[in-house]
Amino acid sequence: MSHQKSQTITFESISPAEFFYRNRQMAGFGNPTQAVYSTVRELVENSLDSCEDAASLPRIEIDIQDDTSDNIIIKVFDNGCGVPSDEIPNAFGRVLYGSKYSQRQKRGTFGLGVTMAILYGQITTDSPLIVHSKTPDSQGMLYQLLVDVENNEPIVERSEELQRSENGTTVTVTIKGDLKRAYDRLMDYLKLSVISTPHARISLTIGDNVVNHFGRFSNTIPAPVIASLPHPRAADLEMLRRLTQKNSSKTLHDFLCDSFQRIGPKTTARFLRFMNMNPHQIVGEMTREDLTKLGTSLRSYDGFEKPDSGCLSPIGKQEFVRSVASQFNTTLTHYSVRGPSEWQGNPFVIEAVLATGDDFPRSDTPSLFRFANRVPLLYDSSDDILTRVMKRTRWARYNLHTAVPVALFVHVCSTRIPFKAAGKQSIASVPEIENEAQLLFKELGRKLSKMTTKVQASAREIKKMREFSKSFRQIVRFSASLAELENVPSTENLVQALFEVDTDA
Amino acid sequence: MHDTDRALNTLKELGERIIQPILDENFPVLEIPDRKTDNIVFDETLNQFVLGPSSVIRDSSNVKHVRSFAQLTWTAAFAKELIEAARTSSLRDLYYSSEAFGVKFRNQSESDRIVTDLECITGLPREGFGIYPEEHSSIYGKVRMKYIVPGYEGREIDLTISPDGLPIGPALMTAEPVDSDAQIVLAVESGGMFSRLIETKAWDRFSAVLVQLGGQPPRATRRLMRNLHTSLGLPVFIFTDGDPWGMHIAKVIMSGSANAAHIRNLTIPSAKWIGVTPEDISEYALPTESMNNQDLKRLEELSRDVRYSGREWQNHIRDFKRMRVKAEQQAFSRYGMDFVVDTYLSDKIL
Repeated sequence: MSHQKSQTITFESISPAEFFYRNRQMAGFGNPTQAVYSTVRELVENSLDSCEDAASLPRIEIDIQDDTSDNIIIKVFDNGCGVPSDEIPNAFGRVLYGSKYSQRQKRGTFGLGVTMAILYGQITTDSPLIVHSKTPDSQGMLYQLLVDVENNEPIVERSEELQRSENGTTVTVTIKGDLKRAYDRLMDYLKLSVISTPHARISLTIGDNVVNHFGRFSNTIPAPVIASLPHPRAADLEMLRRLTQKNSSKTLHDFLCDSFQRIGPKTTARFLRFMNMNPHQIVGEMTREDLTKLGTSLRSYDGFEKPDSGCLSPIGKQEFVRSVASQFNTTLTHYSVRGPSEWQGNPFVIEAVLATGDDFPRSDTPSLFRFANRVPLLYDSSDDILTRVMKRTRWARYNLHTAVPVALFVHVCSTRIPFKAAGKQSIASVPEIENEAQLLFKELGRKLSKMTTKVQASAREIKKMREFSKSFRQIVRFSASLAELENVPSTENLVQALFEVDTDA
Repeated sequence: MHDTDRALNTLKELGERIIQPILDENFPVLEIPDRKTDNIVFDETLNQFVLGPSSVIRDSSNVKHVRSFAQLTWTAAFAKELIEAARTSSLRDLYYSSEAFGVKFRNQSESDRIVTDLECITGLPREGFGIYPEEHSSIYGKVRMKYIVPGYEGREIDLTISPDGLPIGPALMTAEPVDSDAQIVLAVESGGMFSRLIETKAWDRFSAVLVQLGGQPPRATRRLMRNLHTSLGLPVFIFTDGDPWGMHIAKVIMSGSANAAHIRNLTIPSAKWIGVTPEDISEYALPTESMNNQDLKRLEELSRDVRYSGREWQNHIRDFKRMRVKAEQQAFSRYGMDFVVDTYLSDKIL
């Protein structure tokens, strides 16, 4: 035996809050620059979601104060639906807690972002979060919160009733960050946010000066999205376990009818017969193996209809084109949309605007602007499936040469966006999305090509007519002088008539 | 000034032909005799080549025609100005003048072609409109001419006035021969031979008016030669290099060129090509060069040309083809400076 000290290995669990703090780059808080950007972004997205719930035209005011020691106070005001007072501590002070787990399109997904911002602020500056919110049922409530990192629980430092003039929420966070370096990203983000949410107005104040206003390009509030039950193909073991626990007394037949969309008594009966399962089985009594088998069968059975897309909120042709044209100097815009389609039971729609205009760089591929569930994606573009599909598309085929300044704005919306990481900056490679994107880009390419040809043709036609009328005026002038005519007759009617006939033919 | 009146009237008529349809809200159309080689026919009575009956249409409503239509109209208007101002212009000058009027020619050959169009459509030579090519021909000999150009009207000039010869320009072309001690007109291709003949007093010896052609001669030169031929009754002899190109210089002076088939009064059918013929090459044992592909190709073309259908010409072509060599005028120098005058020309002319 040696004298080696035996190592004692201790096992301990860490809370989600601690886990995410330790791995904060995953959530987009890797460095002080990113932290500023991510904090603003998470707060703005929460606010926009909240306004959508309130069905109001979003008005969001961002106020950033930069004190001497790199402490940055970020305050975001919205006119959304507000948070009920008893939910405030949990909603803000607890990781993976929130209202966003239903099957519908939302900007936020993990219930993680805002809490990460708070956590980051708390740890870097040791200052609490201040939430001031009002719902239609209250006068307004102010909370001062901290997060108990170890136990993933909120600590309420102070709470008091405080009058707020309108419904909505104001959140104030103090973090350590680098505002100067985050500034450009921030501006880009807000500029693009109002493209994907054209009915929002966002203002940004830094210090005491109003720096900028963004939007609003449209006064139409998008139709509210309807939350739907999960599609059977989206069922994984974890979901089945949760759902069966909730409905443990139901028969398998009733359970399937009640818990999923697109599956009524008929389909259920057909499915169970096909899979050779007992419809009268009480789901609470199903074993783990049974559940695994059920999950596999649900995912592989091809008799279910496509998932419902009422839970999606694409930007739409008119709004998308208008917001792109309002934000950028465009000459031509083309819109195309594909879907609804699905990936693993999650419906998705992919829409895009291809725009030409002086604001965009001249390149042999379009500049790409990515959006997912109405949120602009700014980082990690090279990892993104949309970028790869865009690069793979052979734009030269569609008359796109380096001389044309062109940009591609792509919006993917889905009940679930397959992000690569919790930072939500790039979309993972999902074959269904990849295929649809490919087809969409080709469609836009064809539209662009058609339009370019048309524009070139009409430019040629105009040039031809101009040259013709110049030559013809010379004929008239010189022949009048030859014939010793006093007045040179007008040629306009003749030339006009000639070219009207020509264009008809 | 009968000629200028006629030219002005013709131009005015042309203007009316163009402007009248426009006043009636129609697009004017012009018909221009076709100058393609298959529309060139030999006119027995005129003893020269003339344009046949086919013609081309220049339609101002046609996008492809309108530009050249405008160029033609401008050229006519420019000619009118020249005549009215009693000025002349070289073809090159005309090409550059167009820019001042916003009329664009791609290059001078385009503007030259339009000038030829104007000749065809009006039936008048460009000289009648005061338009001349750049001159590179000269004349020397015992002839007195009287100018008729403005500023020089009535002034007489002796063509021996300069030992370098006198350049043939618009003024000399229109001048009238007064009298002459000369018996013949001797036209030579190269400037070197021209100088040699002046220096050796060959003009005196043969009583010849010497003309330097400088390659294919300009029309002014041909017109002047014809003038001397018709008004003074001088026979014309042509002395060129011994190759298909030299032979053709002589042929054009006799029978006219395809390019000027629309112009009358240029040809001298009775002119004689004295050489250098293929026969001369062997007879005088001249130093030769072998023919290149272009020479042979040209011979092939000429052998099919109607102007060469005569026996004598076909023989020349056949001999050239057989020998496959060519000789320049200067080749006679191998026998000394004076050989060409003392021996060759004496053989040929006297």
